[in-house]
Amino acid sequence: MTRPANCVFVLLCLWVGIALTIENNLVFGAPIDQSSTTVLMSHDTLVDRVQEKVVKLFGAGGAKGLESYQSGVLIGSDGYILTSWSTVLDVTSVRVVAYDGRRLNATVVGVDPPNEMALLKVDDAGLSGFELDTSLAIRPGQRVFGVSNLFGIATGNEYCSVQKGVVMAVAPLTQRRGKTKSLYQGKVYVIDVMTNNPGAAGGALIDMQGRLIGILGKEIRDEQAGIWLNYALPLDVVQASMDRILKGNTSVESESIKTVDKPHRLADLGLTLIPDVLAKTPAFVDQIRKGSIADHSGIQTNDLILLANDQRIDSRKSFERVLSTLNRADSFELLVQRGQELIRIQVRP
Amino acid sequence: METTKIASIVVRSASRFGELKLQRVFAALTLSVLSSLSSSGQEPNTLPQPNAKVIEAQNERIAAMKKAARSTVSVHGSDGQGGGSGVCISSDGYVLTNFHVSSPFGHRMRCGMNDGKMYESVVAGIDPTGDLAVVKMFGRDDFPAAELGDSDLVRAGQWCFAAGNPFVLATNLQPTITYGLVSGVRRYQYPSGTFLEYSDCIQTDAAINPGNSGGPLFNMKGQLIGINGRCSFEKRGRVNVGVGYAISIKQAMNFYWQLRSGRVVDHATLGFTVATDTKGRVSVSNILDNSDAFRRGIRFGDEILRIGDRDIATTNQLKNIVGIYPDQWRIPIRFRNEDGIVETHIRLQSLHLASELEEIIAGENQKQKDAPKKKAPKEEGEVEEEKTKPTPKEITKDVLADKFEEKLGYSNYFFNRLELQRITTMQASNKLPATDNSPQTWRWQGDLPAENQGFSGEWSSNGLTIRFGDQTDTLHPTQGWLQTTKKQSPVTIGMALRIWQLWHSVGPYGIGEAVYLGRNPVLGVAELQDCTKLTVGEVTCLVYTSPENGQIRVVEFFPDGQSEPAEIYFEKYTTDNVRSLPSLIRLQFGLETKLIAKIDSHSFLDRPTTEGL
Repeated sequence: MTRPANCVFVLLCLWVGIALTIENNLVFGAPIDQSSTTVLMSHDTLVDRVQEKVVKLFGAGGAKGLESYQSGVLIGSDGYILTSWSTVLDVTSVRVVAYDGRRLNATVVGVDPPNEMALLKVDDAGLSGFELDTSLAIRPGQRVFGVSNLFGIATGNEYCSVQKGVVMAVAPLTQRRGKTKSLYQGKVYVIDVMTNNPGAAGGALIDMQGRLIGILGKEIRDEQAGIWLNYALPLDVVQASMDRILKGNTSVESESIKTVDKPHRLADLGLTLIPDVLAKTPAFVDQIRKGSIADHSGIQTNDLILLANDQRIDSRKSFERVLSTLNRADSFELLVQRGQELIRIQVRP
Repeated sequence: METTKIASIVVRSASRFGELKLQRVFAALTLSVLSSLSSSGQEPNTLPQPNAKVIEAQNERIAAMKKAARSTVSVHGSDGQGGGSGVCISSDGYVLTNFHVSSPFGHRMRCGMNDGKMYESVVAGIDPTGDLAVVKMFGRDDFPAAELGDSDLVRAGQWCFAAGNPFVLATNLQPTITYGLVSGVRRYQYPSGTFLEYSDCIQTDAAINPGNSGGPLFNMKGQLIGINGRCSFEKRGRVNVGVGYAISIKQAMNFYWQLRSGRVVDHATLGFTVATDTKGRVSVSNILDNSDAFRRGIRFGDEILRIGDRDIATTNQLKNIVGIYPDQWRIPIRFRNEDGIVETHIRLQSLHLASELEEIIAGENQKQKDAPKKKAPKEEGEVEEEKTKPTPKEITKDVLADKFEEKLGYSNYFFNRLELQRITTMQASNKLPATDNSPQTWRWQGDLPAENQGFSGEWSSNGLTIRFGDQTDTLHPTQGWLQTTKKQSPVTIGMALRIWQLWHSVGPYGIGEAVYLGRNPVLGVAELQDCTKLTVGEVTCLVYTSPENGQIRVVEFFPDGQSEPAEIYFEKYTTDNVRSLPSLIRLQFGLETKLIAKIDSHSFLDRPTTEGL
């Protein structure tokens, strides 16, 4: 799509947001939620309560405009943390700083590239989080709070930052294809204020009762118009990601890997990945041998392999491990990232 | 569906007509959609009545903003150029703003208020470390002052609003109000080098844009809770991204009187550094052995539990709390060593060397000469005041020329003299006679209640003769004071009495170099006390006077950087129907009382005498 089209979309969102705000008779400063039967608590009390359920995450990055921090949201009472899938998580264990200043280590349970979500877990920390209530209906014009560690302002036991806002639109991100760095193309809540600052990704979008209604997305900017879009992923999307990750996760336990006698091997596939020099070297395709299986399947140089048969590939090693479980005669499916696109590829021997 | 269709038409039109046409097309689209909505929607008179509570809340908010707008100030250069914000906090026209707002204007500026008038103004003191400045407006004695709030009560999630002059919009001098949420409190924002440090600040998503700098942040009662000054931008350019910071009004008021002194005000250090040890405790990692903290028994490895009124659990919290205090302040501290928990007070020492602050002033003076043609280079993260198109206007004669005095170490020495004048005027009725800039001979009689011994003395131009019980000591009028203090001698009481006598006869400037510092805390007294630094021969002394009546409360002598200062408390005064005279004196070193002396009678002799007692 062209640049003007993008402008129109954003302006339309803005306009819809404003129009609906007026329509719903929302006067800022005096939030009146007549539809709800829940007693409204004061905002500072509400902020106190949600702080316990939002965590600060620290991992890889810190150079070239890549932040080494982001935000995460605790889900349930088993120590699960939902966050944005990003380069921050490219570490062996992600540092989690809880509301009380405790520093914990989280393992990455799995990632869901299509929704750009990741699920982490901290063990035995006694942390309890939000419930994922996908039944909450979110309407444009609704007032919301964003809670995140934007700009990495909070450290230790300091509070995550809180911002007020209004859901301007519930709309798909598809219009942004090819313009932005978003892999996710589905439904989002578009927010009228700058919630998606550096480090805010993975933070909580909450309603005026302190209930989780979305997970703050990444920073998205139209490269031509220079407009920043602020959005959050709805809970049904988040729930789907979590389900997929937990389902996929059950088969990735390294102990239970069953290698086969005649597995797929990189050389046989005609696939050369970039040299394995790091603890977790990303599985980037370096070369494709002409006429090979990889070539016929449509894999291209510079593709980043994210999933193989829906199992998460976080490094070259993990790809080789998965290949060792696949019989040479069987076909398998890859999910690769090519530029800003996600592509599913059937590899047929 | 409808929208998609229109959008696709727009897109096609746009690609055909290009960018410039787009706005018009969009405007047309908006209009058409609006009209279609209004025709299909409800009639205005059938709209539901707004909730009464909403109306009430709105009216309260309007009232608060109206009240707040009255004290909000727009700060401009002396030729009306540029623009930042400020807030008036006293009826005689003292304005709090940012150092980085006042700095490019030099010492002269003009301040606009929402009565539509511009007031000629001049800078008083500056605080480059904390990014604060005090500017005084002239022309009225009934300026509308902001009501002060308590920034310690501000919590994340509360509503607040900023007032000011973003993008120099306030051409009619009506401030712009932006509304938001307190996003976080007690934030720490790193300085650039050691200057422009924002400690313990309030974070808000109320829009803080270029030009808002120095302006007020209010709570919903219209009470002043902070001074806006900084934003996080990074890659977003210099516009608001919902992350602004305000210096807490608590910190600003801690520095207010120091700033009124016309000095270049300094921040403080504890005299030790801390680190988080392996057990997660904040413990002393390094301590200067000549610091007051060391004298109070703090040692390497001790755990710091509380400073000021704040519990300390992280090193960030410690940096935060230290940043809100001026140097020379004495604040409570609680720490734990091997023997248990210790509660004590420590004196804070200066963060910078005098030469470092003088460099800033040298830079400021240069700017004055260049102002307003050149602007200072901006530090990253500051909210730069907006530049406007120059409106050349020659100032033929500066109406406030007599309100500025250049002196090394001061941003405007005029205000230092003004404050000392304020203090001493309060005690005008207590003036002791003096001839040829020398006071009369003064004799006093009393006793030492605890020792059950006599106490008497005499100050003449020849020196001091003082008697504690059957021991007699003498002291030169200016020499030997350093040794006397270092020895922790009770004769220091005589020194303090001399300061009292000189203060009331020849005045502070008659004693030696006199500098009004601002208001500092005194142990055991709730209110801050006016504090003046005097240089008497070889010792430095601090004189603390009551802000209500100008009476001397404490005199402290500092022999050198290492030794314990002598603290002489003027606990009680009596009146002889003419003037107030000291009647109960307490000497203290460290935190320990050394001697209490009572004075029952005073006599003042016309001629200096050489007689002993």
